[in-house]
Amino acid sequence: MKTDDLIAALSREVEPASRTPLMMRTVMALLGGGAVSLLLMHLTLGVRPDIGVAMWTVAAKAGFCAVLAVAGGVAALKLGRPGRSGRALAPWLALVACGFLVAAVTLASMEPGLRWGAWTGGGIPWCVVLIPAFALPVATGLVWAWREAAPTGLTMAGAAIGALAGAVGALVYAMHCPIDSVPFVAAWYGVGIGLTAGIGALLGRWFLRW
Amino acid sequence: MTGRPDEPQLRAWMQAAIAGDGAAQAQLLSALAPRLRAFFRSRGTRPEDAEDLVQETLIAVHTKRALYDPGQPLTAWVYAIARYRLIDRWRREGRRGVQIPIDTYENQLAAEEHEAGDPVRDVATLLSSLPAKQRRAIELVKLAGQSVREAADATGWSESDIKVSVHRGIKALARLVAGPPGRGSQS
Repeated sequence: MKTDDLIAALSREVEPASRTPLMMRTVMALLGGGAVSLLLMHLTLGVRPDIGVAMWTVAAKAGFCAVLAVAGGVAALKLGRPGRSGRALAPWLALVACGFLVAAVTLASMEPGLRWGAWTGGGIPWCVVLIPAFALPVATGLVWAWREAAPTGLTMAGAAIGALAGAVGALVYAMHCPIDSVPFVAAWYGVGIGLTAGIGALLGRWFLRW
Repeated sequence: MTGRPDEPQLRAWMQAAIAGDGAAQAQLLSALAPRLRAFFRSRGTRPEDAEDLVQETLIAVHTKRALYDPGQPLTAWVYAIARYRLIDRWRREGRRGVQIPIDTYENQLAAEEHEAGDPVRDVATLLSSLPAKQRRAIELVKLAGQSVREAADATGWSESDIKVSVHRGIKALARLVAGPPGRGSQS
C-alpha cells in the first residue's frame, strides 16, 4: 500500500482521543489485581489474627508500601508512553534506598545483642519471596491494562510495572506479616519490592511489546 | 527547504488530531513521512524496508496518539516510536552483523538521536576536536577550497606539512564519525 493512501486511510478513522485511558486502566488493574491478591492472601496465609490491636503498625507498613506504589505508579505512567524517561524510576529508587538507610540507622541505635533478631525477625524473611508472589496478580492486571500503552523502553517499563506491582503486593502482604520490627520491614520489604522490579525489568521485553 | 513544517506546526496538527481533526492528522503524517524515511535510511535500512518502517511508524503515531502529552516535544515523541519500531524489526529479523542486546541498541540510537541536529554545527563540533594544525589545514584546503600552495602561503607551513595535516585530519574525522568499533554495518 502506498504511504499516501495509508495516510488517507488512517486519517479517515480519526476520532477525539482521550488522554486518560492509560491512567484509568492502570488504576483498574491495581484495584482488580490487588483484590485478587488480597483474596489469595486471605485464603492461603490469612490476615494476622491480632490485626485489631496492631492496626497502627500494619497501617505504618502499608503506608510505606503505598508511598512506594505511588512512586512506582508515577514512573510507570511516564514509561508507558513513547519517549526517553530513563530517570523516571529515580524517586522510587531513592525511597527504597531510604528504607535501607532507616533500617541501618535503627539497627545501629539498638543494643548489639538485639540487632540480629531485629534484622531477621527471628526467622527467614519470607516476604522476599511472598511479595513477588502477591505482586503477580497485580502485574498480570497491569500487563493486560497496558496493551493500549506504548512503552519505548521495554526494560525500564517492565521495571516500573514490577515496582508498582511489588509495592501493591507488599501492601497486601502487610495484612498478614507478623513481624513488626522496623529494620526488618524497611530492609526486607525493600528487597522484595526491588526483586519484583528486577523480574519486571527482565520480562518487560516479552510482555510489554506492542 | 521552504515550507517545511516546524515543531510548533507539527504540535498544533497533533493537538487537532487528538481532538478529532482527520485533515490535521493527514497533514501531520504527510509532514512526518519524509523525516522518518531519512531517519531509517540513515540507520542503514534498505529503501524497501525503510518504507515499511515509515508506514509502521505512522500507524503507531495514529493508534497511540492518545499517549502524546501536549507538553512534550512532538518530534522527540515520534522519533522514540521510530526507534522502537526499528529495534523491533531488528529483533524480528535477527539483525545481521554484531548481536548486541536490545538495550544497547536503544541507547546507541538514543545517543545518535541526541547528536542528530544541525549539520553545520556538527561539522564545526567535529573540527573543533581536531588538533589546531589539522583543523586549520582542513578549513583552508577542504572547506575554503584553497589550493595547497595558497594554504601554505597563508599559514607559513610547508606544502607537505599542509598535505600531511589534511590527510591526518580527515582520518581523525573519519574515526570520529564512525564511532566506536563494532557498531553494525556503518564503517
